[in-house]
Amino acid sequence: MESQFDNTDENYWNRSSRAAFSFDDEDDVDLGDVGARTSTGQASQSSKWDNNAIFNDDTISEASFDNSAALGTLNHLSIKAILSDEALKLVLQEQAVDDHVMPKGVTPEEELKLLRRQIQSTLYSPNLELTAQKLLHGKVAPLEMFKSLLEKRQLLDAVLANGGDAIIGVLLFLKRTLNATQFHGILQQRPKALEHYLSYLRQSGDVSSYIDMLQRFGRHQEAALRQFQAAMACNELATRKQQLQRLIDAYASAGVGIIPLYEQVFHSALKLQLVREKDALGDLSQRLGDEPTPIELLYVCCSQNKNWKEQDMLKISSPQRFAADQEISPAQYEWTALNERAQAQAYADLECIFERVSGWHPLKSKQFHISFDLTLAVQRLFELKAPATVLQLFLSKMSNSPEKLVLAQRVKCIKAVIDAMVSLKQQQELQQLKQTLPDRSEEQFYCENALKSLQSKRWTTDNIKLKL
Amino acid sequence: MDVTLEKKLQGFQLVAQEKLQAILCSIPGKKELILEPELIKPLEHVCTASWLKLKGIQRIYKHDAKQRLPHAADQVHIYMIRSLLGTYQTLLRQLQPLAIQTTSESPDLELRAFHIICVPSCYAYFHALLEQAGLCGVVQLHHYNWDFIYLDQGVLSLELPNLYECLYLQSNSSALPSIAQSLRLLQMICGPPSVTLTFGNHSAQLVQLLQALGTVPQSPNPPDFGAWLIIDRDKDYVSTLLTPAIYAGLLLEVFQLSAGEIIVDNANNKIRSQKLQLLQGKTEYAPNQAKPSCLRLNSACDEIYGDNRYKHFAQASSLVRAQVKTLGLELQKLNDMKLEEMHDYVARKLPKLTELKAKVLRHLNASEIVIQMLGNFRRLQTLEEDILNNVSRKRLLTGIDELLTTDGQRYNTLRLLCLLHLCVGVTPDELQSFARNYCNMFGHRELCVFQQLAQAGLLPVLLPERKTSAKLLSNLPLPKFQQTEFQANANRLKLLTSFADAEQPAASGSASGHPAIKSCPSFVFNGMYIPLAAQLCSMLLNANSGEQLATKLAMIDGLHVHVGAQVNTLKAYAANLKMASIESADVFPLRLRNLFVFVVGGANYAEIAACDFVAKLTGAQITVASDTLLAGSDLIAAAFNH
Repeated sequence: MESQFDNTDENYWNRSSRAAFSFDDEDDVDLGDVGARTSTGQASQSSKWDNNAIFNDDTISEASFDNSAALGTLNHLSIKAILSDEALKLVLQEQAVDDHVMPKGVTPEEELKLLRRQIQSTLYSPNLELTAQKLLHGKVAPLEMFKSLLEKRQLLDAVLANGGDAIIGVLLFLKRTLNATQFHGILQQRPKALEHYLSYLRQSGDVSSYIDMLQRFGRHQEAALRQFQAAMACNELATRKQQLQRLIDAYASAGVGIIPLYEQVFHSALKLQLVREKDALGDLSQRLGDEPTPIELLYVCCSQNKNWKEQDMLKISSPQRFAADQEISPAQYEWTALNERAQAQAYADLECIFERVSGWHPLKSKQFHISFDLTLAVQRLFELKAPATVLQLFLSKMSNSPEKLVLAQRVKCIKAVIDAMVSLKQQQELQQLKQTLPDRSEEQFYCENALKSLQSKRWTTDNIKLKL
Repeated sequence: MDVTLEKKLQGFQLVAQEKLQAILCSIPGKKELILEPELIKPLEHVCTASWLKLKGIQRIYKHDAKQRLPHAADQVHIYMIRSLLGTYQTLLRQLQPLAIQTTSESPDLELRAFHIICVPSCYAYFHALLEQAGLCGVVQLHHYNWDFIYLDQGVLSLELPNLYECLYLQSNSSALPSIAQSLRLLQMICGPPSVTLTFGNHSAQLVQLLQALGTVPQSPNPPDFGAWLIIDRDKDYVSTLLTPAIYAGLLLEVFQLSAGEIIVDNANNKIRSQKLQLLQGKTEYAPNQAKPSCLRLNSACDEIYGDNRYKHFAQASSLVRAQVKTLGLELQKLNDMKLEEMHDYVARKLPKLTELKAKVLRHLNASEIVIQMLGNFRRLQTLEEDILNNVSRKRLLTGIDELLTTDGQRYNTLRLLCLLHLCVGVTPDELQSFARNYCNMFGHRELCVFQQLAQAGLLPVLLPERKTSAKLLSNLPLPKFQQTEFQANANRLKLLTSFADAEQPAASGSASGHPAIKSCPSFVFNGMYIPLAAQLCSMLLNANSGEQLATKLAMIDGLHVHVGAQVNTLKAYAANLKMASIESADVFPLRLRNLFVFVVGGANYAEIAACDFVAKLTGAQITVASDTLLAGSDLIAAAFNH
């Protein structure tokens, strides 16, 4: 319903009238020259493929309705060949919403009979089977004559046996005509009906009744989830915070048991609101959607962090503090920081991220530590165009030399290739590699040194140190 | 005149037209059609815009949920929407002002100025809601079910995308009657099958509904299908959760499908949109590099797709590449030609060649994007194979967790965890730590997803802890050697091929007679797994007697045989056969070799390809139909529609 429709309308209908009827497959419509028909068919088919612009067009055009290839095959098929008249009539009749319409050409006596039967069935004696059958066929069926509780229950059981949309239809009728106690009593005994009713409430967007029903029928965990969802859907931060706080309090004190995961996530969601409230997170948060995830916020925190050597744990937006507050796993923290620092080309900070001071021995020097596969780190750094020295730093931590060699070759880190060859004692390959390196380049010197060290097989103190 | 089965299945379109015509022609006046945007693609398979014009529709609009189309006094507005409560309510809210404006209402149903056509069915409670909105007498409601849409040879779809969510996540069976009606129409066109095998509750319910709808008038033609096989999606989740290895399947993994057409779009495909943008690594892909184009997954109008659709992806993509090369050479010939030759060539051959080239290039582009998007496909496949065969459980979990961290995909990572749960069983504690990381990655609001997936049986149910002393006991790591239901059934049906291979080569039931056949239907998953539907099809086709089939399938719970109006388990069926003498003849071996497979809750291309393979092997014809075609990520995505 864009306004552009009005402008294009004239065009559209001109276009379609030119190409009209080209694929009509009904035999009884006289379309004139058959040959002309097929030829226009081919033309529009090919034009469809060539002219992709029509597809991107926001308007519904003739072309986007062109299904020539599928329709073309049907040119010779008539509906009579696949479906008998009787069956077709039945199909069309079953499609109608209402079957009250009186068939034409009925004698007055017959009409009277029909009407009498109808009145009888609608006003006086509820006909259970007929009603269930009608509902199954999708016809409008009056339910008002089901007055007694027994009749209502029977009606519900009849439609429950078949399944289908009639269940919700009858349930809404019961809700309207019974008081809450009776209605809930009926639902209590019929779990299938309850599921349908809950599904109805959920789809209708009536959150409060939905949560209410869940709680009433003892499904407190689901209710808590829905409340959480409703709270998160609030656009205003203050209300959201308030609702989350209320939910957390209620959840802890309800005495219906606690799922630790839910509790943790509720708490982190609240904490996240606090961070967002306190710190305006700068330009980058503009780039994020309205609802940044914890990892995305961590990324923002990383981009704003100045001091990577010693992070200020008192500041809630310092990456480590934020990760601890949100219970972000070490692997996630490291991966996010790696990506952010590499994007920002602040490679020097990478060492700080992957450093661990061993807790039991504070005097010992800091150690390299990574929580995910080193290969992945190297590959990502390569993708982000990190310089060879950085790649070498990470490659040097790999212990498996054959793998290291393959990876180093893939990311074109010559020095690491040389290192790996040295540890694999591949003298010949090193020689070959040396030939390919540009003269007097740094890598060539490195390669030469490596070769020298390989050739001197003496037991030097250096070698012993390396082993240790 | 004899009408082939293919023609009959295509003929559903004619019936759909008849039905739509009946509605449109019952409404007089200056008609304008307002379509929900998602309905346009499937509707293209029913009729053309010119057809609609012929039926008196003057203009067609897209429905806008935000504002209502202005209405002139002499116009009749016909809205066409999916029968979703949310959509319907939004529309009613838009039409609400009319309730007050209208002063005179027409007594005749058809003369109303507003009509709402609900696809596939106008639910019973929609009338009640209409009345509540005060629109009774102003708006008229209609049912419209287009039934099966013929997407490709052997592939039918009802195009009901939200069925899985309703049926399996919310246990809401509202859409079942309309499916039963479509199956009924199939019976009218193709005749009733001599036997129907159902697996699962919804399937059995469908057959029950079909019978409740009443008898079917005789078809003018002899029956086509020997047997129907109706299975619930939840009886074979694995074939949806595993990443397929075939061309059509992988196209669906990467590109959005709608009514048999995919949109080849590099900038905004299914895989890319699942990742967090900030952590995507390479960002400098050119967004305007290529315009998104469409590929229709129909072998009749795209021979390249037809040739490759069920081939292994590596094979298909190299074939496409080779074809590009040969075409390039062909076009180069032009340079060496003499003038007359050239004239002739340009006039006759060139248009065809250029058209073919355009098609091949589209496929080349698509397969290149697939390769780029899937990244380290081999690693994924090893992981999946290890999950299937339960190789070192602990490592599998850390593997999935690492994938979440370093290549987190909203649906696909979760899909692996679901696969792990089905095959090995995930404990609530393990789920808990995964879920924590997942919520960090994709936001706290996704917490509900885990409950939803547990509802569908794809993840364990989290139970509340009561703070008692029993907690200590449960913390003890007790080893459990329980087989999951999936494993039990998969072993009974011999679905796991990569595991069984060591013991008995060529383990597939259908291939056992021919040792020369080097592959079995499991090729769709790189030889790891045979989709349940294909295995059951091959059993049905190869069964020599009811008893033989019963011994094969006796241990499987939830299988039912429907012959005529009788429902039995397979065991009981075989027993009855023995008891009764000659008069109730055994339906096996099947006299008609055509099968109809219906998957309740979305079929996938791996299943379809495997069935196609079984059909070729046994000289039968298998038609696979479903409410929609799904890739694994679509199935998981259904749990996200809050």
